Amino acid sequence: MFEWSDEHQMIRTAVREFVDKEVRPHREALEHGDMPPYELLRKLYSSFGMDQMAASSFDRRIAKEEAGETGRPTADADGEGDAGGGGMTLLPIIELCKCSPGMVTAMGVSVGLTSAAIMNKGTIAQKKRWARDLLTLDKIGAWAITEPNSGSDAFGSMQAVARIDGDEFVLNGSKTFITNGPFADTIVFICKLDEGNPPAERRVVQFVLDKGMTGLEQSKPLRKMGMHSSPTGMLFLDDVRVGTDRLLGESLDAYAAKAGREASKATFTIERTGVAAMALGIIERCLELSVPYAKSRIQFGQPIGNYQLIQLKLAKMEVARLNVEGLVFRTLEMAAAGKGMGLAQASASKLYAAQAAMEVALEAVQIFGGNGYMAEYEVEQLARDAKVLQIYAGTDEIQITHIARALLA
Amino acid sequence: MNVVVCVKQIPDPSVPGQLEADHTLDRSAKPILDESDSFGVEMALQLVDAAGGGEVTLISLAPNGEVSGLRTALAMGAAKAVLASDDAFAGTDALGTAKVLAKCIERVGDADLVLAATESSDGYTGTVPVQVAELLGWPALTFAKKVDIADGVVTIQRQTEAGYDVVQSSLPAVVSVTAGVVEPRYPSFKGIMAAKSKPVDNVTAADLGLDGQVGWAGARQSIVKVEQAPARLAGEKFEDDGTAAEKIVAFLEDLKVI
Repeated sequence: MFEWSDEHQMIRTAVREFVDKEVRPHREALEHGDMPPYELLRKLYSSFGMDQMAASSFDRRIAKEEAGETGRPTADADGEGDAGGGGMTLLPIIELCKCSPGMVTAMGVSVGLTSAAIMNKGTIAQKKRWARDLLTLDKIGAWAITEPNSGSDAFGSMQAVARIDGDEFVLNGSKTFITNGPFADTIVFICKLDEGNPPAERRVVQFVLDKGMTGLEQSKPLRKMGMHSSPTGMLFLDDVRVGTDRLLGESLDAYAAKAGREASKATFTIERTGVAAMALGIIERCLELSVPYAKSRIQFGQPIGNYQLIQLKLAKMEVARLNVEGLVFRTLEMAAAGKGMGLAQASASKLYAAQAAMEVALEAVQIFGGNGYMAEYEVEQLARDAKVLQIYAGTDEIQITHIARALLA
Repeated sequence: MNVVVCVKQIPDPSVPGQLEADHTLDRSAKPILDESDSFGVEMALQLVDAAGGGEVTLISLAPNGEVSGLRTALAMGAAKAVLASDDAFAGTDALGTAKVLAKCIERVGDADLVLAATESSDGYTGTVPVQVAELLGWPALTFAKKVDIADGVVTIQRQTEAGYDVVQSSLPAVVSVTAGVVEPRYPSFKGIMAAKSKPVDNVTAADLGLDGQVGWAGARQSIVKVEQAPARLAGEKFEDDGTAAEKIVAFLEDLKVI
């Protein structure tokens, strides 16, 4: 694949129109954090039938599981399902990132990470209870792993804890930097199981919590450098009592000593492949804005695009665009061939794309000069937003360790 | 309830247009669905939904077997399309276009209603819908900003300068709809994936029995000359000597805007 198919282009045109008409007019409100992104995301889902597609895909998968079959559901006769390939997922990500990348984070954490955690580890009953509504965006999800003292070393320094009390679990701990935390209806809470053993040997377990449960507090959104259209917050758990029905898998047998960590790593891979698409959206938007500006901005009697220092910036931006687009196409091709990207490859892709987006966005600010530093010209927002791509879903430094570990293994 | 919608596939208006040596529009680039036609498509889909049965069929006259604009309307939910595309159609004027569309409507066969935009966004003749109605011998209802169907009668609100007229006729009929009659839906992803497999009936001038009546040969109008629109004249300038406000008021009164 070296270009988008006809269908992909139609999807892109339609989503672009939606973003221009429905999202862009709210950019100010979204970027000042006054407007949560969820109603706009739900409108996106219903306008393009993404909610119905997600629901019927879920129903087919559950029907197969109930019949004792495994594997992903195949597309049905009228072309629904996987016929459009990952393009149906990635194109909305790319187009939304041209306006408000934070919306993608809010959407991805809910329909991607949180629902995937439940779909990977939950029982059929748990999937029906929580995952379907997350996949259709009827409910908003949060995936709570990071803590004040446990970032990149997520499992090693994790302090959130579950204690067994009769046939219940008692949950305690604090989580921070949790996307959708302030508004989430459904929270996947990752913690260690205290069975009286030393913290390093404790099993990592996952519970599903609902908004409003006794002992659960969801903070207001935190003020961030960028990604303002993605509400981020803290969670505080003070003796939250849950039954086994909220333990993903509904049995501690599902959590062998290292299994919980492996399940979370599968989630990391999904998260990282999405970042390349986000980076592509940011890079494409920077070029869309910078090229006309370089042609029309006159200094010293001629367009600044005539100057080689500006040309170098534009050329490097185009190189980055081609490379990141190649990574996105690779993701799609691999998915179409039924092959998942391994963690090391997903890490490499994420590392490159995040750095490229950051460089391109900063160079776009530079091309715009003083105007670029002003909020009105949009590129400063993209530069602030791009920075987080190098931090969340595994910092650049963590990606490097994953790539190197695979090479040296 | 079967509705036929006349749709035009036009050069993308966001790209500067070019003229050919014969003064016709350069149509070699991939065309898009004329936005003014998306209202008719949406109206048709809603009418068929409300009727509880039937389907929406598109008809289009386009060069080079172009279907990309049709695909957009098929993705919105139209069931099928008739595409008239033939080198013999090159140079067809407005009346010739109406002949082609009328023959296509006859070919579809079971239309209860034909919808069209009031005019295309590239040619702007605004004559085709009534010509089609005349050729079919059906009533023409124009400039509809609202369309209702009940008991075999179509009722529209016809936009006027002062408000609207209520106009009724029996079916079948041809109705031209204004932009904004309804809010066009976005094509669903499922619709986009399904659009490619929906049937498109490709027809030629011979298939429609129009040999010699269309194209340059059949055209009764020709484009003799194309000129740049005159540059806007410079406005009148007043230095404010204390009477500028009165002058502005007098100017606006002259325009009858106050």
